[in-house]
Amino acid sequence: MTTLTNRPASAPGSSAPKKALMERLNVFTAFGLGIIMAVVFWYAAKALLPANTDGSFIKTNRDQWVLLSMIGWFIGFMTGIGALIGPFRWLLGKDLNHDENMFYAGKDQGVKRYFRYTTDHKVVGIQYLVVTTVIFFVGGVLAMLIRTNLGHPGGGWLQPQTYNAIVGTHGIIMIVGTIIMITGPFGNFIMPIMIGARDMAFPRLNALSFWLIVAALPPILSSFFLGGIPTGWSAYNPLADQAPPGMDGYIMFICIFAISTMVAGANITTTVVKMRAKGMTWNRTPIFIYGTVASVALALPAFPVFFLSQVMSALDRATGSTFYDTRGGGSGWLYENLFWIMGHPEVYVILIPAVAALMEMAPVFTRRPLFSFNLAIMGIAGISGLSVLVWAHHMYMTGWAPLLAGPFMLTTELISIPTGMLFLVLIGTLWRGRLWMTMPTASIYALLWNFMIGGITGIYLSDVPADAFLHGSMYVTAHFHYTLMGAGLTGAIASLVFWFPKMTGRMFDKTLSWVAFWLIQIGFNVAFMGMFMVGLAGQPRRVEAYAHMYSQGNMITTAGAYVIMAGMLVLLHGMITSWRSGVMAPMNPWFGKTLEWTVPNPVPLENFEVLPIVTEDAYGYGRKQS
Amino acid sequence: MSEVETPKRPSILKSKDVRMTAILWVIFTAIIGFVASTVQVRAMGAPASETMATTIKMMRVFTWAASPVAGLVAAMAATTLLAKRHYGDTPPEDADHEIRSSAKASSTWLVVSAILCLFAVIWGMIVLQNDNAALLNAKAMNVNVTGQQWVWNFDYVDNGGARSQDLYLPVDRPVVFHVTSKDVLHSFWIVQMGIKIDANPGYVTETSVTPNKIGIYDLRCAELCGLYHAYMQKKVHVVSQADYDTWIQSQGGKA
Amino acid sequence: MNKRFFAALGTVILGAAVIAGIGTYVASAKNDSRVLAATPAGTMVTPQGTLPHYTLDMSSYPDSMAGSHGKDGGVHPDWVTYGDYTNFKVPAHSVITITIKQYDSGARITNDFFATVHGTIDGTATLNGKSITTVDPQAVGHTFTLHGLADANSQLFVSVPLPSLPDSAVPDSGYSKTPNVVTFSFITGGAGEYVWNCEYPCGDGTTARFGGPMSTQGYMSGNFTVANA
Repeated sequence: MTTLTNRPASAPGSSAPKKALMERLNVFTAFGLGIIMAVVFWYAAKALLPANTDGSFIKTNRDQWVLLSMIGWFIGFMTGIGALIGPFRWLLGKDLNHDENMFYAGKDQGVKRYFRYTTDHKVVGIQYLVVTTVIFFVGGVLAMLIRTNLGHPGGGWLQPQTYNAIVGTHGIIMIVGTIIMITGPFGNFIMPIMIGARDMAFPRLNALSFWLIVAALPPILSSFFLGGIPTGWSAYNPLADQAPPGMDGYIMFICIFAISTMVAGANITTTVVKMRAKGMTWNRTPIFIYGTVASVALALPAFPVFFLSQVMSALDRATGSTFYDTRGGGSGWLYENLFWIMGHPEVYVILIPAVAALMEMAPVFTRRPLFSFNLAIMGIAGISGLSVLVWAHHMYMTGWAPLLAGPFMLTTELISIPTGMLFLVLIGTLWRGRLWMTMPTASIYALLWNFMIGGITGIYLSDVPADAFLHGSMYVTAHFHYTLMGAGLTGAIASLVFWFPKMTGRMFDKTLSWVAFWLIQIGFNVAFMGMFMVGLAGQPRRVEAYAHMYSQGNMITTAGAYVIMAGMLVLLHGMITSWRSGVMAPMNPWFGKTLEWTVPNPVPLENFEVLPIVTEDAYGYGRKQS
Repeated sequence: MSEVETPKRPSILKSKDVRMTAILWVIFTAIIGFVASTVQVRAMGAPASETMATTIKMMRVFTWAASPVAGLVAAMAATTLLAKRHYGDTPPEDADHEIRSSAKASSTWLVVSAILCLFAVIWGMIVLQNDNAALLNAKAMNVNVTGQQWVWNFDYVDNGGARSQDLYLPVDRPVVFHVTSKDVLHSFWIVQMGIKIDANPGYVTETSVTPNKIGIYDLRCAELCGLYHAYMQKKVHVVSQADYDTWIQSQGGKA
Repeated sequence: MNKRFFAALGTVILGAAVIAGIGTYVASAKNDSRVLAATPAGTMVTPQGTLPHYTLDMSSYPDSMAGSHGKDGGVHPDWVTYGDYTNFKVPAHSVITITIKQYDSGARITNDFFATVHGTIDGTATLNGKSITTVDPQAVGHTFTLHGLADANSQLFVSVPLPSLPDSAVPDSGYSKTPNVVTFSFITGGAGEYVWNCEYPCGDGTTARFGGPMSTQGYMSGNFTVANA
């Protein structure tokens, strides 16, 4: 363990080597201080805020106390983890010195560095991997509760309030999980190495973006104990205005997560733009990098809007404002627009890294160049650009602006063109390659299958008259699970197995990865095909009970869900056992050509002995024809 | 004339994998088109309005339009899988070529996908125009729909304002629904007629349909509205004009 | 190979057990799983012919001390509640007569729609012996409202308002000796699962006051099953 003795002479305290503040702070002090501040703010709020008069139910005191208490939690947690040390020292004019920065980077700290505000991008990547796994576990448990309740028509296993709360929490937790599932672990760990850099542009912001996610989790998890969220993940007002204090947990979760995403976005974008290795021109930059940057760059304009929409929701709930209440001159349509202006780009934030990761793997497993790198970039850019122009296709049925239905239908259908480009890149790379069959390779095929179904069903939904039938039914739920989970999660799991050797030094157990793959893919397709059927037959979404005619389809879906559960548990088991005692991995187990495979396992603190100079792109596979 | 000619490149169909893909393409397109359209159309059941019949037709047509694309992707994928696959911990040899792009393939793909996209847009616009025009039908009967947590009620404004929680409609008569909510968002969805419009507090929104089959259909709320959203449902009765007149009078209205 | 297989299987079983445990815990947080079956009461002549007749009795209380929530009112002694049972089972194709003793005070109902009687045999109910079709919306205590899925069988919608007792008539402890007694009858169609709830939200914690007892089964809502005999 290192104690920092090289402190500036004017530092407060004695000259004897005492543990510096930054050495003492870790996740435990963060939780401790967070809980203390939450309690303090709660009691202060109760004491200082005027009591509700009996008849006034436009706003409630409880929301004010809960929101203020969660803000207290946030301040306490971020202080307790040490996020303020860097800015505070900078303000004082005594910025961190080299030793302190190395301490921050986790030098010589062993496993403790994972529990601290560590700036090394590799540590942050592993931290993201663990937290993403936890998020998916919680979201998955909630999914199993939902499907068990829907296993029989009359409902009644879960109370309606409980069921609605579980549905909404499952949704928002999974959305956050899928947003971070690739850019979090792999965007942080792998990306800087892949571009030939020693770390990210803003290492302290890197740690900040991670710990903000951890800070955000207790608010959403506490919502179950505060009455739950009754609204589904989209948190539409006015229903959200009516909701119990659990809704405030959702609001805080989103606000904190939005900050994390914006911070990560600024960090990743700057890193890629400014810190690529010498010689890595844009033409030689791997496609995974493009995917990662596009994803976070999309998030940068989208999430502030989400943040603000939730702030206004909090104000409506806690102070009696009426942004979203027509009785006070506001409008629920305002909320829907703000939400979907974020909500649509966000699904591409989820999808693009998954497709880009598989595009990065495809040449490795077909031993031939990526087909049409330029088309891949155009596809990613086209999707990103168009995605900010399509949001109101989620609002066709609201009656908000009937004249805009046509234009939004046009922009939405147009997105199928750049999406198709990505298909061509993938299928073109598989074509006439020498196929090396591994679980990531199989995932490429699974993505093509799932994304085809997800994409085509999306085309039906984009047609306004068809949407008059399909909107708000289980068909929509099946569609977005096919795209976000069938395509997105497939890419993430493949990324896990692909980059596992570099991140942990061990190979992911081959058999377990295959077993998990098949269980998940088969379970998934069974589950959500059943869901398409009941949607077409007229079952609405977010219902706790359904008419008898939907029994068969729902039982099929529930059965499929149980198979997914088994597959995910096998995947989890594989992750843990491989990490602890898997086969040691060679430096470049996949014989890939991107830069991360040129550094040894475990990856040294500063990645490269000598920064690489790049002279060609990473797709130089294949033999020249004679 | 000179006998020196550049030898023609062998027909693209001479290569085995291209032939295989072409054959599979036809097979897969047929299977995908047939299965996807039939299963989906079957699941939607019998339509109770022209609107729904058009929607069912659209599903069928769009499925068939998309199936060659899906079929091609499936065929190419299957062809690659049918070739020799290498398993093991070391990679196979590099592929025989270094092809990085194909302007022909890319541009063909782009043009075809743009055409399909345009086709979908134009179709949708035409149907949308018709639906919008139906809203302006002066001869339609009007029903005010109010959604509230968690029941619908209906005001038959053209029949003397009779109020009921039951929805009865005369067959073959266009009806315009004026929908609003008393509290949170709901969504007024008559499943077999293929119409839906949200019920917003503070606004009135409209949708219209002409029921063309006598029978009993389902009205289901399609926007999560709180505790009993699942139960905010009702049967819709489409009856003959005579039966409708009898019923509306029993509700205190005028025929 | 065998050891690895069993280890993975072990994780799956353990994971499933954890999920099952969580599920059981969450699902069991019902406040009342007892079901009251309707009492047979001969037959009744109705516009739909002579049908078997059954009765149900229940009450609506200003707090939870009535006993069905346990001694001292249980976890939420100050919550309004229905009792003694909140889950009911009645036969299909029968007439059900429900008698509700309303012990609570009240105020102006939020949605006037529910101040009117809906879905009963002749659209009326009986209040303390007098026939009514609506009550004063300013003085509603609770409602009894049945909701159902649009299923293959005919669907019930019944809603009856229960007028409030004036504040002076609600004692500080114990209950009034003269509750409002509301009786109404309706005909059940085919079998189905319904829920009933009170549609006059007055729970706190949310701006529409659907929190607290309003959204908790066992208090202001419950299950209502129409079963084939």
